[in-house]
Amino acid sequence: MIEKGKISAFQMALMIIPTVTATAVLVVPSVTARVAGRDMWISPIFGSLVGFFSLFIVYQLHKHFPEKSIIQYSGDIIGRIPGKIIGLIYLFFLLHSSGIITREYADFIIAAFLPRTPMIVVMGGMILVCAFTVLSGLEVLGRAAQVFVPIFMATPLLFILLIPDLKLENIVPIMEHGMMPSILGAVIPQGWFSEVSLISMFLPFLTDCEKGGKWGIISVIVIILHLVIINIVCLLLYGESVTSYAFPVLNAFRYISVATFFEHLEAVVVIIWVMGAFIKISVFYYVLVLGTAQWLNLSDYRPIVFPIGFLVCLVCIWAAANGQELGRFLRSISPFYIPSIMTFIPMLLLLFAIIKKKMRNKRQPVPTNP
Amino acid sequence: MIWTVFAITVGVVLLILFEWPKMKQNQKKEKAAFVTLTAMGWLLAILLVFFPDMPGPTQMIEKLFKPLGKLIE
Repeated sequence: MIEKGKISAFQMALMIIPTVTATAVLVVPSVTARVAGRDMWISPIFGSLVGFFSLFIVYQLHKHFPEKSIIQYSGDIIGRIPGKIIGLIYLFFLLHSSGIITREYADFIIAAFLPRTPMIVVMGGMILVCAFTVLSGLEVLGRAAQVFVPIFMATPLLFILLIPDLKLENIVPIMEHGMMPSILGAVIPQGWFSEVSLISMFLPFLTDCEKGGKWGIISVIVIILHLVIINIVCLLLYGESVTSYAFPVLNAFRYISVATFFEHLEAVVVIIWVMGAFIKISVFYYVLVLGTAQWLNLSDYRPIVFPIGFLVCLVCIWAAANGQELGRFLRSISPFYIPSIMTFIPMLLLLFAIIKKKMRNKRQPVPTNP
Repeated sequence: MIWTVFAITVGVVLLILFEWPKMKQNQKKEKAAFVTLTAMGWLLAILLVFFPDMPGPTQMIEKLFKPLGKLIE
């Protein structure tokens, strides 16, 4: 096996939580409000169904092939050449989305804090840090998640300081136009939820495999809570005008002012958010590097870490001409693009695997003792 | 522009000098993968310097998923 490190199911859950939430908290409130209006806080709950579904599929596939990742077992299920093609699509998706995530990170940092810094410095710095993490292996990534993610998860607690500004009447009437707006609003968060299926690359390295499914479900529930709390706070704070903010959560923290001297908390929040983005980019980058090594049957993934980091940097620049174009892509294309790779392909693989097993059982009936 | 190309080339050469001694004699496949990926990166970087508006992966995906994307625009 290429990766010799082992992680616990708890560390895996901690790695998956920021993988979904880190970029979702930036855009989800304003984008869901556009469709769902006042019911936007219900949307992540509907969106999570896709998360649970992809978790279930990936876990079932893991039960069929306990020692392998999706890149390896796709070849076992549908034959060598089609398996390689599926693997290539998967790797292309990972490369493209790592580039887009890095771009989102760089755009946010430049818009919020470093307006004069060239993008290549912001992005190159992040990729370099992530490259050293990936180079150190899965165990280091798991430990880093264990250190950073609890802090990252604690940020909604800072919303307590916002309570004086919140207007409860913004939330009523709940479901004025029925369930439909909140279900339509779930179209966008469900794209992020399907990224949960990245655990298919981590499940083979768990020390406690039987707990993998349980911790996967816990991590999806934590993600739902995180997104629902953030949506509720944005709704109570801005009402329906939340759509006019590019980064509503960041602006929400700018509102915090306790006794007029405890202000500008957004600096702290961005520091914490960068930790989450670091884990997210590292997870995508790690999965991309490990997947490429498995696809090419290499004995070690370390030599290709830096070349792939270079490619991620280039795709990051190449991905979009400007922030508006990227925003449109994230709003209208990625809700279909991410699930079609992360949920639909594993689903087809699982169907094929089940059919294949049934056929084999039919051909060779299980010998029964007379 | 020529300086950007020069800087990219220097960066790639440094990357190779940093990574090459770490690989063992018998890791033929790893060396091939490393060289191919680095060459791809270098070529793409040079292309992006001269044609920054080249249609990229995002445009390709956008074309593929446009009919679905229109549903929620």
